Amino acid sequence: MIDIWNVAILDPLLNGLIALSQVLYKNFGLAIIVLTIAVRLILIPLTFRQTQSTKAMQELQPKLQELQKKYARDQKKLQQEMMRLYKEAGINPLGCMWPLLIQMPIWIALYQSIIQALAATPENLLALSQHLYQWDMVGQAIPLNEEFLGLKLSQPDPTLILALLVGATMWVQQKMVTAPATDPRQQQMSSMTTLMMPMMFAFFTLSFPSGLALYWVVSNIVGIIIQYITGGGWGYFKFPSLRPQPQAAPAAPQKSAQETKALKEGSDKKKG
Amino acid sequence: MMKNLKNYIRGTLTAVILLLVFVMGCSDLSGGGGCSGTQAQGWSGFAAYQKDICFGSMEGRVIALNPQARSDNKTFPADTEWVYIIKTSAPGAACGALCTPSASAAGQGIYGTPAVVGDLIYVGTYTGKIYALNASRGVVRWIYPREALDSVGAIVGSIVTDNQSLFFASSNGKVYCLDAATGDYKWEYQTSNKIWITPTLDNGILYLGNYGGEVFALAADTGRPVWNVQVPSAVASSIAVDGDVLYFGTFDSYLHAVDKATGQEKWKYQGGNWFWAKPVVKDGKIYAACLDSKLYALDTSGNELWKYVADSPLVSTPAIAGTAIYLVGDKGMLYKVDIQSGAEITRTPVGYTVFSNPYVDGDMVYVYARDHNVYAVDMARGVVVWKFSSYLK
Repeated sequence: MIDIWNVAILDPLLNGLIALSQVLYKNFGLAIIVLTIAVRLILIPLTFRQTQSTKAMQELQPKLQELQKKYARDQKKLQQEMMRLYKEAGINPLGCMWPLLIQMPIWIALYQSIIQALAATPENLLALSQHLYQWDMVGQAIPLNEEFLGLKLSQPDPTLILALLVGATMWVQQKMVTAPATDPRQQQMSSMTTLMMPMMFAFFTLSFPSGLALYWVVSNIVGIIIQYITGGGWGYFKFPSLRPQPQAAPAAPQKSAQETKALKEGSDKKKG
Repeated sequence: MMKNLKNYIRGTLTAVILLLVFVMGCSDLSGGGGCSGTQAQGWSGFAAYQKDICFGSMEGRVIALNPQARSDNKTFPADTEWVYIIKTSAPGAACGALCTPSASAAGQGIYGTPAVVGDLIYVGTYTGKIYALNASRGVVRWIYPREALDSVGAIVGSIVTDNQSLFFASSNGKVYCLDAATGDYKWEYQTSNKIWITPTLDNGILYLGNYGGEVFALAADTGRPVWNVQVPSAVASSIAVDGDVLYFGTFDSYLHAVDKATGQEKWKYQGGNWFWAKPVVKDGKIYAACLDSKLYALDTSGNELWKYVADSPLVSTPAIAGTAIYLVGDKGMLYKVDIQSGAEITRTPVGYTVFSNPYVDGDMVYVYARDHNVYAVDMARGVVVWKFSSYLK
């Protein structure tokens, strides 16, 4: 299994990355940026399909919640009704998952390629020898030049700059695709998730090689651009307003959630 | 309040699960060794001091073993044995904002084989320190750099000595010379890239190569460069000297033969992978172990005489004793091969990955394996006579 993974996915990507760095004047940082952009561009059709499926699923949420309330005590009926709803809307409930599943091995391979190519320790360098093709271009690039914009790509960034960039770009990307939930509990959970993930990745950036953090930042930025173009703007992300916000009444969150739900149902009826 | 807490926990758990799925990708799917790569653990070989063999362990200890005491299964330390524990206080080579020295990703590894001069044993560490220890008791005589938090950068090669001075190279691209008795600084020479190989000293000249593909000769007494040439790829192996020729491997899978006086290339020979181990030269024949799992025997014109195919990559430098050459495959197989014909005489498994150089004493071969055990192998009988764990609980 490991051999198939290495031969079919990891090794071609790894050698491609190293050869690319040789072409780009032995600049491995630039190679990471170019390859990340290239891979993300190649995967645009899949990203687009995933976005569309997720969007359709989100639009169906109010109706699904209604069904869940209605058939709370009859799980079998609930399942049947949900499937009927999906069928009517022409949605495959796993439709937003499979593009993600196809992309995952490529991301993982890219991820591993960067770590292995950087070969921070002598043990890593030895391990790398068993993955390389007998190309002069690859042999002459090893060991890679790890200097890039003042960073040592095989070592963690001693400043907080990369960690902040990773966290911020990931947060913006997640905010763009995460629809505000109608249920306040769900809302709280999703905002917690959109906050926790960037925070944890930012935290990991402090101890991971900065080459990997560079890949995260570039991947996030490209993701934001793709999302901006395919989703027609900033999506659900709202820039913080500089104007003072009017103070909300004590019951406002619950009321506004109900209002949002009513408005959503109204708009659904109009659409129907 | 409880509801908020529940939501908080649920949100956190979701984030953690998502993150774990992502991070799993760089764990061990390809044996790559995790998101930050494999820790630097080291692969020290052995140096002899009287009846003991000394090595640097993967846990950052210098250990003197008495083979007879180990063979008699005595409790360690017995007779002349000792252990010196290196306290990690240098910042190491790969430590981020979150790293503390003790938890450094740099590890505590010792890669170089210790050097012995008189009653002192010298060890260089990956955390960038040189330790001089009393070879009979394992007591520290001096440490360089003197300040606890100072480091010369990760040292991967071994130390060489002319009895008065020590020479070593570092990941910071510098070659250093220290006084062997006192550890006082003598000179340093800055190169353009990191050096992970052992300098070779021959007739007052040091020969080295770095990861920028520079090969150079320095005067050992002053550090003054004698010559400097550029090769197409980074230098992978330490340099062997024989007569007027230097031999070394590069990362483009070539073994190079260059003129000792000028650095001009005489010939090169291509293997199937890197010549990582230092070539060994005897009686006008070059024996080069390669990561393509082959040992190549070449004549001084670069013609292949024979090649021996092992079961796994040959990482460590072979040892010649009598009419045999001893090899270790990185999967832990020891081979004894006839030096004239390349025919296998015998093989013995130690059962675990070995990167360290074998040390041969008669029929006994000692290797330090990645399971942290020293194996004493009787090659005549094909058995592991004893093993010793460097964990030292």
